[in-house]
Amino acid sequence: MSQAPILQVQDVSKRFGGLQALAHITFDLPQGEILGLIGPNGAGKTTLFNCINGIYPPEEGRLVFQGQDITGLKPYHIARRGVARTHQIVQPLEELSVLENVMVGSCFGHEQRSLGESEGIADEVLGFVGLVERREQPAASLNVAQKKRLELARALAARPFLLLLDEVLAGLNPTEIAEMVEVVRQIRDRGVTILIIEHVMHALMNVSDRVIVLDYGEQIAEGTPGEVANDPKVIEAYLGDPKLAERLMGEE
Amino acid sequence: MLVPSLMDGLLLGFVYGIAAMGLSLIWGVMDVINLAHGPIIALGMFGIYLGFTGLGLNPYLMLILVIGGGLLLGVLIYWVAVHRVINAPHLSTLLATFAVNMIIIGIATAIFTTSPRNVDFNLGGFPVGPITLPWTRILAALASVLVTALLYLFLYQTRPGKAIRAVSDNRAAAELMGIPTSWILALAFGLGTMLAAISGGLISTFFPFTILAGSSYELKSFVICVLGGLGNPLGALIGGLLLGALEGIIPAFMETSWVPVLEFVLFVLILLVRPQGLLGSKT
Repeated sequence: MSQAPILQVQDVSKRFGGLQALAHITFDLPQGEILGLIGPNGAGKTTLFNCINGIYPPEEGRLVFQGQDITGLKPYHIARRGVARTHQIVQPLEELSVLENVMVGSCFGHEQRSLGESEGIADEVLGFVGLVERREQPAASLNVAQKKRLELARALAARPFLLLLDEVLAGLNPTEIAEMVEVVRQIRDRGVTILIIEHVMHALMNVSDRVIVLDYGEQIAEGTPGEVANDPKVIEAYLGDPKLAERLMGEE
Repeated sequence: MLVPSLMDGLLLGFVYGIAAMGLSLIWGVMDVINLAHGPIIALGMFGIYLGFTGLGLNPYLMLILVIGGGLLLGVLIYWVAVHRVINAPHLSTLLATFAVNMIIIGIATAIFTTSPRNVDFNLGGFPVGPITLPWTRILAALASVLVTALLYLFLYQTRPGKAIRAVSDNRAAAELMGIPTSWILALAFGLGTMLAAISGGLISTFFPFTILAGSSYELKSFVICVLGGLGNPLGALIGGLLLGALEGIIPAFMETSWVPVLEFVLFVLILLVRPQGLLGSKT
């Protein structure tokens, strides 16, 4: 694991009008790590994801993926280099079947497979996330938990090097959360590096190797889950939301 | 008398169908109403006319050039006029394509004037009861069916086709999955104008036309799209057949000048009773 980091975020800042959404975010993401990203609502977590995969370029700073500067590239370029993503609010291609959704990921993602090859990959990935019996259904007919799995399958079918997971656990019941955490671990074991945003604290603390805490766009803490949970600055940031603070402390 | 004129109308309906399919495809993929649809149909007619009278080319051979030209023209129109307003409200895209409409009509009127033309091409006819159906119409209908089949194969069995359907469903998600959405939109626009040009080219083999003739076919395309469900290509073909059938039947009972009146009565009725179209919108 002593290779060069797969992703380097260097001094990244982003402003929306008067709102400083991200201020000088800097971290390295080593190959094979699961890095958790936490922070109160509006802390800039999703904005950071949007910067990394090119939805909008950062105003300052650089993003380096596998040693190459990807700052300002379009989302589809970044996707082709091997960055895949799931969304907080799921974005299935509603009218396409489950299988077709996943095939799109494989067809146009990192490996640019043909339609025939994509179908094989899609079936394999659907088996992995447990959606194989729903392959012919339109994506719109799935429930929320299944749509989250579909998003994950679509991202995985691209065979990415780096996977950005934006609240894949939100809205799931405890059993589903446990299953999803297991799936995330297995993805890492396949060699995919993972950056994960999550509000379900015990799960995130459990699955992450390292955690970064954002608050009002500032990076206020970084370390192992244990270090971060006991950091006074983090506790203070969460005091506006005492329940979260309590949970954060309680679960550790 | 009724049966042959109905058949005649149905044959024409296939050709109307692919014109409408062009309009429908562009709407379905990018929510743009292409007001340059009519002039592009007319350009398809003039393409065949110029190839036939100028170069002495067989109209069906010339059609291949019209297909390529229509596709390229559409991609060009997308990048020049539509791309910069693609995320703007519908009025902006309407005005942008209307501007293209005016530019094409202006330039083409200057070059060709508005005097009527026809492609003097005759393949004889196929006798059906008391009348004979001209082969040009039969071939036009067959060509339309072939084009529809190829379009479906393209959309459902190829990678660019899958990209078009993904972009049509959710543009932002498609981009994140590695699809260059702007190029896919340009391709879809190109395909839409290509279908319009093909229909114009086929119509020119049996009807006289002027450079302004496209506008009446554009209006028919709107009626057909509403009949079949806007954004649904197969619906467009079926809507085309329905309209063609009406055009075949109505003259048997009343003056031909009533045809457009009844067509638009139907248009309004469908909008009132079943605004999603007979087959529902989008695929």
